[in-house]
Amino acid sequence: MSSPFLEIDGLNKGFGGLKAIRDVSFSLGREEMIGLIGPNGAGKTTLLRLITGILKPDSGAIRFKGKKINGHKTWSIVNQGIVGTFQNMRPFRRLPIIANVMVSCLSPRAMKRGEWVKRVEAKAMDALEFAGISDMALEDASTLSQGDLKRLEVARAVATEPELLLLDEPFGGLSPAETDLMGKSVKRLHKGGRFGRLHSEGPAMIIIEHKLQQLMKIVERIIVLNYGEIIADGPPEEVVKNKDVIRSYLGGGGI
Amino acid sequence: MGLIGFYLRKLFTVFKGEVLVLPSRVVVLLFFLTLLLLPVFTRDPYLLRILILTSIFAILAASWDLLSGFTGQMNFGHALFFGVSAYTTALLNLHLHLPSWGSIPLGALAAVLAGLIVGIPSLRLKHTYLALTTLAFPIILLGVVYAIPNITGGELGLSGLSRLSGSRVTDYYITTILMLGLCTIMWKITDSNTGIIFHAIREDEVAVRAAGINTTRYKLLAFCLSGFFAGVSGGLYAHFMRIAGPSTLEVSMSFQVVIWAVFGGIVTIYGPVGAVFILVPLLEFFRFWPEGRMLMFAAIILLILLYMPQGLLPWLRDKVEKECPRCKIRNIATRSTCRICAASLD
Repeated sequence: MSSPFLEIDGLNKGFGGLKAIRDVSFSLGREEMIGLIGPNGAGKTTLLRLITGILKPDSGAIRFKGKKINGHKTWSIVNQGIVGTFQNMRPFRRLPIIANVMVSCLSPRAMKRGEWVKRVEAKAMDALEFAGISDMALEDASTLSQGDLKRLEVARAVATEPELLLLDEPFGGLSPAETDLMGKSVKRLHKGGRFGRLHSEGPAMIIIEHKLQQLMKIVERIIVLNYGEIIADGPPEEVVKNKDVIRSYLGGGGI
Repeated sequence: MGLIGFYLRKLFTVFKGEVLVLPSRVVVLLFFLTLLLLPVFTRDPYLLRILILTSIFAILAASWDLLSGFTGQMNFGHALFFGVSAYTTALLNLHLHLPSWGSIPLGALAAVLAGLIVGIPSLRLKHTYLALTTLAFPIILLGVVYAIPNITGGELGLSGLSRLSGSRVTDYYITTILMLGLCTIMWKITDSNTGIIFHAIREDEVAVRAAGINTTRYKLLAFCLSGFFAGVSGGLYAHFMRIAGPSTLEVSMSFQVVIWAVFGGIVTIYGPVGAVFILVPLLEFFRFWPEGRMLMFAAIILLILLYMPQGLLPWLRDKVEKECPRCKIRNIATRSTCRICAASLD
């Protein structure tokens, strides 16, 4: 049997006395799209940051396509095909929005995959088009609203043409209609294909989100974290009926 | 004949449409022309000497802006590059009898090496800590210079270098053309894709790394580029003054560069260059009043920092030019509609 696309094996991470991630293990297939939910402070963002290499795990292994990647630098992990967005958006505030995305397009991975495209600006523009903020390409990033900053984060991540995309609350700050639109874009991205000059590999995805109804529409599998441990893992319909999940996260009413 | 006339007219149309539309571009053109044509009108050696030194310091100030303004790596020890290059140039010239066209590039390469040596340990530091660490390097080197006087000349420095060229006017042309050329190159670098990454590193380094860019490499590149340009100015200084002394490594030298750049406006390249061309001649002018000279200097800089925090030249530019709110193209302030997209400018 060939090794899984992404395999997380016995991952641990503590901040001082707090154990943020305890012995988390799961694996992800190339075609999969999973949701990661849990109460605040459950370690969702920490898990994503461990995968993207911004944080270093205390123990355990992260294998991507059979190769161990923990200990690699963030930029090297991005160039291998894993890219994540930030939950607290970190745009380059004093740069125009298009320049924000051009930085991603200038990464070695994106440059190599340019195929016939040599124009960095054109590709960055298509990433903005995908995220739906291309009309504001020349404004400074500091003028964007929270929701548009989320879209900028997505555009920046997509511009590196990843194989595994980690989205940290992509629907945060979006109105219900916009959420719907963003959900559809993400689904389209997952199917792969071309968006103008931008090429989508059809990345596997891990999505952290609190808007469960939207999330359940687009993912096939949900992992629930609580106090750094996986308490449920399965299709959305099963997970929402799980007693532990209802007690710790959903509350008595369910959804 | 008609064909030549056609191309001449076309050239003039392009010139009118691209250069004459913006006051800032006209000023840059006039600046280039004045500097290049000045020796035709006057050959006063004192005036030329001031302008040569001004040109040399302009390269130095612009190179600081490339590293600290654009990439955000606060360097308070920029004199290191200047001094390393000046001493290397002097040693090569005195011992190996290399002429100036050989010793200055080698001196600049020594400054690049210094950039690497400073850059690698400084990579993990940020902001204030980086500033303090870089501040220490020229002081350390100054200690080394005093410690081995039989090589470095100690407090007297190394004197008796060969002249830059035979005459003052040739010296003037060499430094001026080098200054204009190198500053244009620096401006082009900041305008390129590499420049965008430099900007982004200043804004948020972690986010740049998360976009798949090896920031270490780009920060070292910024250190090396800045070191190279500062090195060229250090070599020119040594050959023009015919001495490489400890004054090139002093703390005051490092801070002068910072003052020039902040006065003219950082993150612009043209700002520091303009500031040097205002401040250095001004300081020379006030020589008739030696007691009040530095006081005057300090007062002017304080006023500028109080009322024009983004620097003098960007402030002036914003007064005479407006940015179109729609297409972000700059327009002269007297226009009411954008020259490209015809949107209202108010």
